[in-house]
Formats: sequence, C-alpha cells, structure tokens
Amino acid sequence: MKGKKWMMFLPIGLLLVGWGVSLAGGDEKPPPITQVNAQLLGPQRLGPLPPVVTPPNNPQSSAKILLGKQLYFDTRLSKDSTISCATCHNPALGWSDEGPTSKGIAGQMGGRRAPPVSNAAYSPLQFWDGRSPSLEDQAKGPIQNPIEMGNTHQAMIRTVADIPGYVEEFKRVFGEGPITVQQVADAIAAFERTVVTTDSRFDRYARGDHDALTRLEKQGLEIFNGKGHCTACHWGPYFSDGRFHNLGVPARDPKNPDQGRYAVTKNPRDMGAFKTPTVRDASLRAPYLHDGSEKTLESLIDFYDRGGGNDANLDPLMVPLGLTRLEKKALVAFIKALVSLNPEVAAIQPVPESELPK
Amino acid sequence: MKKTLLVSLAAGASVFILCQSLAAIPAFARKHGFNCNMCHTAYPKLNDFGQRFRDNGYQIPGQSGREKTVFESSIPLAVRTTAGHSLDKSKPGTTAGFGLYGLDLLAAGVLHKNISFLFVYTPRIDEPAADYRGQENGTNPAQTAAIESASLVFSNLIGEKLNLRIGRFEPDYHLFSSKRPYYIMQPYEIYAFAPGGNPFVFADNQIGIEASGRFKPGLKYGLGLINGTGGVPDNNTGKDVYITLSKTFGKGDGQTAGQRLGIFGYFGRQPTDLTDTVVGATGETNGRDNKSFYRVGGNLSLNWKMVNLQVLVLKGSDDKAFNAIDPSRDYSFWGGFVQFDWAALANNRLVASLLYNWLEPPDYDRPNRVTGFSALLRYYLGSWTAVNIAVHAEYTHRTLGVDNPLKDDVFTLLLDFDF
Repeated sequence: MKGKKWMMFLPIGLLLVGWGVSLAGGDEKPPPITQVNAQLLGPQRLGPLPPVVTPPNNPQSSAKILLGKQLYFDTRLSKDSTISCATCHNPALGWSDEGPTSKGIAGQMGGRRAPPVSNAAYSPLQFWDGRSPSLEDQAKGPIQNPIEMGNTHQAMIRTVADIPGYVEEFKRVFGEGPITVQQVADAIAAFERTVVTTDSRFDRYARGDHDALTRLEKQGLEIFNGKGHCTACHWGPYFSDGRFHNLGVPARDPKNPDQGRYAVTKNPRDMGAFKTPTVRDASLRAPYLHDGSEKTLESLIDFYDRGGGNDANLDPLMVPLGLTRLEKKALVAFIKALVSLNPEVAAIQPVPESELPK
Repeated sequence: MKKTLLVSLAAGASVFILCQSLAAIPAFARKHGFNCNMCHTAYPKLNDFGQRFRDNGYQIPGQSGREKTVFESSIPLAVRTTAGHSLDKSKPGTTAGFGLYGLDLLAAGVLHKNISFLFVYTPRIDEPAADYRGQENGTNPAQTAAIESASLVFSNLIGEKLNLRIGRFEPDYHLFSSKRPYYIMQPYEIYAFAPGGNPFVFADNQIGIEASGRFKPGLKYGLGLINGTGGVPDNNTGKDVYITLSKTFGKGDGQTAGQRLGIFGYFGRQPTDLTDTVVGATGETNGRDNKSFYRVGGNLSLNWKMVNLQVLVLKGSDDKAFNAIDPSRDYSFWGGFVQFDWAALANNRLVASLLYNWLEPPDYDRPNRVTGFSALLRYYLGSWTAVNIAVHAEYTHRTLGVDNPLKDDVFTLLLDFDF
C-alpha cells in the first residue's frame, strides 16, 4: 500500500518538475499574430507574399523612395566613392553579387555572401547573423564597415550634405534640419521596401492558375514541401523561417571559423548558424550558402541531399534526403519557377551617375 | 484440446490483426502546411525528420516554443481509416468480403512550449461477416473500442537529453513502431505473441511514464515504468521497467538515413492469481503471486538511398507459473522479423515491401510456431497537405504450427486514407 501511494505521487511530482523546468526562464508569451511577426509563430503555408508592412516611424512616400533609390546607387556614400549598396546588392544579379563572397572597398573580400535585398522587407532580422532588427538599422551598417564601404557615418553625412541636390531632396522628404544618418537609412529602407517580388509563376499557381507551373515544377513543389524537407526552414510566403541554422558548411579557415549567429547571441546553440535566406529569385543569384561555397542550384541540392556538412552543432533538421536524380531536377525546376515576374521590379535600373543629385 | 487451442490462438491472432491501430497525424501537416512526406517516408512510416519531430514533443526538431499552440492553429483533429476487400484462404475454408479494417480518431498538438499531447481513440467496429455463425452481439468486432493513446509529453527538460511521456503511449522499445507499419493486415508476430496467462503484449501501448532523450552523436535512450497491462487497469502493485538504447552511425536517425543498432530489455512482474483480490472500497484489485518475465532483444535498421532493411530479434521468457502447457518449466521463446522496404517514384509515391516473420516457441509448444511471408505494394494517389490516399495491396502466407499446420493465404486490396 505504501508503495502504491508513492507511485501515485511520482507522476504528479514529475509533472510539477516538468512544468517548472519548461516554464523556467520563460515568461515568453506567444506574440500576437501580425504580419510582422508571423515568422515567430512557426511554419506557414507557402503562398503569395502579403503586402509589405511599413514601420510607423518610417512611412513610405514617393519622394522618400526616390531619394532612397538615389542613395542606394550612389558610390559617394563609401570612403573612396567606389562602392554603393548596389555594388554588392545588384539588381542584375538577383539583388546580390557574383560572389562567392562580396568585394568591398580597395578590393577587400568579405567573409560572407551578400544577402539579397529583394524581399528583405519581409525578413524579421537582417544580415546573415541577424544582428540588425530592421532595414533601417541594417542600412547603416555597411557604410562604416571597414571592409565594405569603409566610411564613417560622420564623413558620409558631410559628403551628402555637401551635395546641394541631396540637401534639397532631404529637405523635401524630411523637412528642415541637418541631414542625419537615420534619414539616410530611412530613405534607403523605404526604397528597399519597394523591391518585393509578389508575382512569380508559383504565385500565379498559388492564386489558382493551375497551368502556371509545369508538371515537373509541380512535382518539385511537392518535393520541396515533402521529401526534400525544404519547407522545414523555407516556409511561408517569404520562403524563409527567418531563423538561424547550422548546415555544417565547412569553414574556410578552420582555425577561425565564422561564428554566425553566435557572435550576436553568445548562445552555444547558435554557433555556426546563419539566417535562412528566401528561395524567391534564388536561381538568379548563384552561388549559394552564406559563404557562396555552392556554385549552382544543383550542387546546393546535392549538399542538402547529403544532409549538409559535418559539424558538432549541425541543425537537427539536416538529414540525408535520399533524393533521386529526377527529384533533384524537379526541385531545380520549381525553384526557377519562383523567379519574379513583377515588371516594376524588373524595371528598376541603376541610377546613372549623371542622374544622381549634384 | 490441441485443436481448440489452435482455433483460439488463430482467433486471438486475427482479432489482434484486425485491431491493430495505425497512426498518422495529418493535424500536424495541416498546422504547418507541410505535406505528409515531411514526416513520413511514406505514411504511416516515420522518416528521420518525423522521428525527431515526435521525439521533440511534436515540435519542429531543434526548436521549441516557436510555433502555434493548439489554441492558435487549426483544429488538431485527424481521422485515418482503411477500407477494402480481403480474401482469406485457409485450410478450414475461404472467407472474402469488403470490410473496414481500422478507424482512428486522433488529436494531437502543442499546448505550451515543450508541453504537447497525443490522443488516439479507436471506436468499436461491429462488422461480422454475413455468414458469421458465432456468438451474437458483436463479439467479433473488426476493432474494439479503446483509448489507444492519451499522453502528455514534456520535452527538452534538460535539453534534448530528457523528455517525459506520461499517460498511455507507444513505448520506446518499439524502435520499429507497431502503430506505424506499412502492413495493415499482418502484424509483427513477435510483437503480438502473448503466451499463457501473462497479460503483457509487447505490441500494446502501455500506461505509465517514460523518460527518453538523445545524446550526440546519435545515441538515444528510453527508460520506462509502466503497468504492463496495455489499456487494462493495473492489476498489481509492482511495475514493469524497460530500457532501450540505440546508436545511429552516420547522419539521420536510422529511419531513412544512418545505420542504427538498438537493444532493449523489458522486465516485468504480473500476478498469477486475480481471485478475491479486491483491496479498495471502490473495487480496486491487486493480483497476487506476482511472477516475473522478461523480453530482451536487438534491432538493426540499415539504409541505403531509399532502401531500408529492418531486423528485430526478441527473446522472451515467462515464469513457469504462466506456463499452462508445462508448469514445471519457464516458457521461453524467441522470434523476430526482417523487413525490406523500398520507396520509389517522385516523393516516394510507391512503396514496395517484403516481410518475414518468425516465432519459435519451446519444443513442447510446436502448435504456436509461426512463419509468415508478406509482401505489399502501396501507391499514393496524391501527396497533398494533410490528406493522403494510398491504394494498398498486401499478401501474406502464414503457417501456424508444425504438425498439421494451419496455413493461411490472405490477399487484401484496400484504400488507406487519412485527413
């Protein structure tokens, strides 16, 4: 009888321990369901992108977007006037660059590939390691990065403030007062929020046009969302969970590996983890992965098919997939069907130097 | 006497066969927008992702508290059923007919970060054949009513090293699940075998508590304390314990990738006397004369591309008090199965499988010896989010006994669908 009573209390005790441990350190309440933080609520269905959400403190206006576009293509923001945002985030190269990693000021090579600007408005965090919470914040970073644009914010502001055309435009957009770094970032972010690719053949298929995808592409979609496990990370309209994963990409310098998200959070689980990029327009911007180490979509899919690389901190989502040659072909076909057909985005051309504010 | 025993064993086996429940949980697919192959090699068999998803308390592997709870997502309900035609040719005669071979009602989901649940109810299906001449009142149901699973899972209590499962659940010693097999008509014989008066059935879901977890690289454990009486209320003060260990070499969990080796041991005590054992005011009973039994074994899962070879060998021994045939000796037996699965076509639309079952009782119980060869083909009509339909063709040739054996040939063609 004594034994029986003890047995009755055991599960209750364990239940309490379970609750205690699982709730410990976590007053975390589930965030409200909004477009902004939908990524935080876990996997969503693939589908067309919703409208971009604009932060209340940086409303869009056509004048601001134009100003942002000019700044985006203006190399004068860099220390030696050779690098603009578009140098590494080139519309002609899927809003990224040739890679494998990006070339900055004075021919310096960065350690990571340029993330695409297209649809970056949907990403909850910016940069491969997510160190920036918004497009506005992100836009400030490369300007003063010694490897990227090599400038200082103060020097950049002096340069911009010395250009009467910009002074006039900043006045029109932001009103009287000195030009600030925040205004530069706000304008660039406003422009970047227009670079959204809401229309691809996949989107048309998702909206009900069943002929928008070929049979092979439909097969690819099925594998993308099934056996290929792609949607385990590349989910939702943005085709990204906005989270961080260690894929086991071999370090270029094993003695000094890229720490990825760990550098921001100092959480050992984030060691070597990088943000999931969107798959939209991916076929336009080879090479792939954070260091551009996979040259083609085919080799990238082979990498995933092997279950990624080897790393002590390999994400548990990475498992060998057993894809056949046909399944890989179908996946590539589907990914190519995610290329934007938006004419307004395709029409975005670099602003010629002659048309930049003087 | 021998004939009566044979008939009753055959009847028992067929009830088990028809009652085995089959789980696949489209509620998860619906919640996440995934199609079934995200978690299943081809449903209902779990792939590595699915196994990790289950181990992580029905949360995305490696992540917790970052997805919708049942209160925020679609209704966490699912249904699975199998309906079709079966032809059973055996020595006494042939039976054939359309039937409903199983129906599961499932609910599952995440209640809170690292707290989830699974509930599976199998309603009774009274469907005696038109020519049935047995007892009335549905004493031969195609499926008995049962709460097959009702468990809470507390995950990541010490990272992925400790998860607790409490309630009625499928124990971890089923490294090859008895609830998610491709085979619908043919169970794993060694799982189903319950000799003599011991109420323990290896295949059953059990009530109790289980700790499980994983250590890198690829080492998993399970440790449980359970009644050992399936869904039946406990009948003694003692509890059964089990331990299981597995190691996967290479990436994956040995479901579709990696090579997995596992061992398990189950040590139980069950009463041999249940008469006049009411001990509580409300009728609780405690059996007497508890006697011990054990099941130990090993298993192997080898993978190459989309080919999976599963081997399980189990040895069991029950105290002589359970032995109705020769009470002077412990009842020892062994058996196992070898299963070869191949998934083909895009997104594993086609599954082919071969299964060999064997069960070797002691020499003095030759009528219980079983060998069985089974084969199946499953073709999935679609692989849509949260809906799946498979055309399922299965054949089994089964031999029961040695002298004057009972031979069965069962052909089944059915539709297996869940949503």
